[in-house]
Amino acid sequence: MSSTEQGTSSAAPAEPTTAPESAAAPEVPESFYYVHGKDKVVHKVSAGALQHSALIHGMISNLGYTEEQAKANPFPFENIDGDILQMVVDWCNQHKGKPTPPEDTNLPKQKEKLFDLVLAVNYLEIKELLTYCCKQVAMMVKGKSPEEIREIWMIPTDAEDEAAEKEAKKRAGKEAAGETAAAAGDAK
Amino acid sequence: MKLSKYPNLVQKEILDNMKYSDLFLLSFVSKNMKNIIKSSQAARFKSISRIVYNMQNTNYRTIYIPLGSSEEVIMKSWDISEMSNNDYFQLKVSGEIINFRSSRHHFPIANFHQSDRESVFESIHNYFLDFFGYTVKYQWIANNYMLYFPQLPSLSLILKFWKAGGDKRYIKKLEHSISSSPIMEHIELTFWESTATLNAESKFYQAESIRIFQDNPTVPVNLGCFQGKRAFFTCNQGRISDLSEFVNRWKSGEAFQNLEHLEIVINHPDYPLNGVLDAIGVKYIDATKIPPTHTLPKVYFECGHKRNTDPIISHTYVVRETDNRVASISIERKTFSFGVWNKTEEEFLAMVK
Repeated sequence: MSSTEQGTSSAAPAEPTTAPESAAAPEVPESFYYVHGKDKVVHKVSAGALQHSALIHGMISNLGYTEEQAKANPFPFENIDGDILQMVVDWCNQHKGKPTPPEDTNLPKQKEKLFDLVLAVNYLEIKELLTYCCKQVAMMVKGKSPEEIREIWMIPTDAEDEAAEKEAKKRAGKEAAGETAAAAGDAK
Repeated sequence: MKLSKYPNLVQKEILDNMKYSDLFLLSFVSKNMKNIIKSSQAARFKSISRIVYNMQNTNYRTIYIPLGSSEEVIMKSWDISEMSNNDYFQLKVSGEIINFRSSRHHFPIANFHQSDRESVFESIHNYFLDFFGYTVKYQWIANNYMLYFPQLPSLSLILKFWKAGGDKRYIKKLEHSISSSPIMEHIELTFWESTATLNAESKFYQAESIRIFQDNPTVPVNLGCFQGKRAFFTCNQGRISDLSEFVNRWKSGEAFQNLEHLEIVINHPDYPLNGVLDAIGVKYIDATKIPPTHTLPKVYFECGHKRNTDPIISHTYVVRETDNRVASISIERKTFSFGVWNKTEEEFLAMVK
């Protein structure tokens, strides 16, 4: 698992320890990058592990950072909770350079954690992990009645959808009226 | 966990990973949800080859989607008298309130009185047409033990009869059910023993495809009126004269104009199929050349069975006098195969390599 250090900032990250890698040591020294989430805890991750994330891979592919530069410039993902980013980093490390299995049973079972993980994985564009997560989300409602599904996924009723739509229309109307009034004021 | 908070692509990925039975139930959560499913799963639904209403079991009926050699159940139905508890939920299916419960295999089971089955299945079918679309093929399979079929749009009928000719009552039942049925897509008769009792005007002969397991010495079964496209026979006895008569009638254009594939298997060790080709008077393709392969998709096939007719690769063929169309004829072991090409003799010979 990757190592972390609590409370380091993105501007001056503390020295994190290297995550143990499952792959054999490559002939060429591997480059590492640093990421942190909302909690500012910095994770040191190899470029190989980060290849799972299309977003990060795209960001680092042309950077050519030295180890020092990478350490000094961790990628901030302020929209991702620390524990969720930790899960993502762990998964990337575990599956570094390996073909991904058809199932992944190590995903969180708690609804809210899984929900946050899906959002993070989607943002980071980790396709295989997103597929696992979505399968797990789909499994949550397997064989459930419509009312049970509504409860699990918090799906609004038709009446709630209609009320929300009315509200949105009302808001849009008000905004349009406001814009018209402002435009008329400007014209004067 | 609020599903609507997910981006559309994530919602689609989640729906992509759901079974059809779960998507069916999810569609009842809200109108909005149903629309999301229909739009995000449009390509998946379009790829469904057919939805089968298997009504053959007297205890329960299954609606499923065949997937290769297996089937994915959308729902089952039971007689309401068999409900052991009140652990059910109600759904409004195309305007009809139907009781459902979840099975331990995670698909919904509809519970209703058999007296309500007509309206229930009509509602379910209408819901499916709206949900899965009109491009999907819907097949209703009934048999002589569960001989019920509704007259609904876009629903084709598969009929299966066992011991069809052994008892006159079965013949009556068969005739009666056929007369009130829509045009059948496929009919299957097992242990057929009688041919004389069916009226020449019977809808039986209008079925697109027939499969008959028969014990009758007449081969093929009185096919003189058959207007369909595919016919499969398995017999225990037969006569060469019957086969040559069949081919002659086809050649003259007198009958079987719509026929595209015929297969007759004669399970009799002494039946001399070798002499059939001479009796028919076939034409030959040069033995050093490779004839074209004739194969067609079957009108009906069971899960795990071949989707297409067995390929016919034969150096022998006959030509229909009326339109110069060609039929390849092959005899291999106990099987006589007849495959009609939508090609003239010249076009057919041009395909020979």
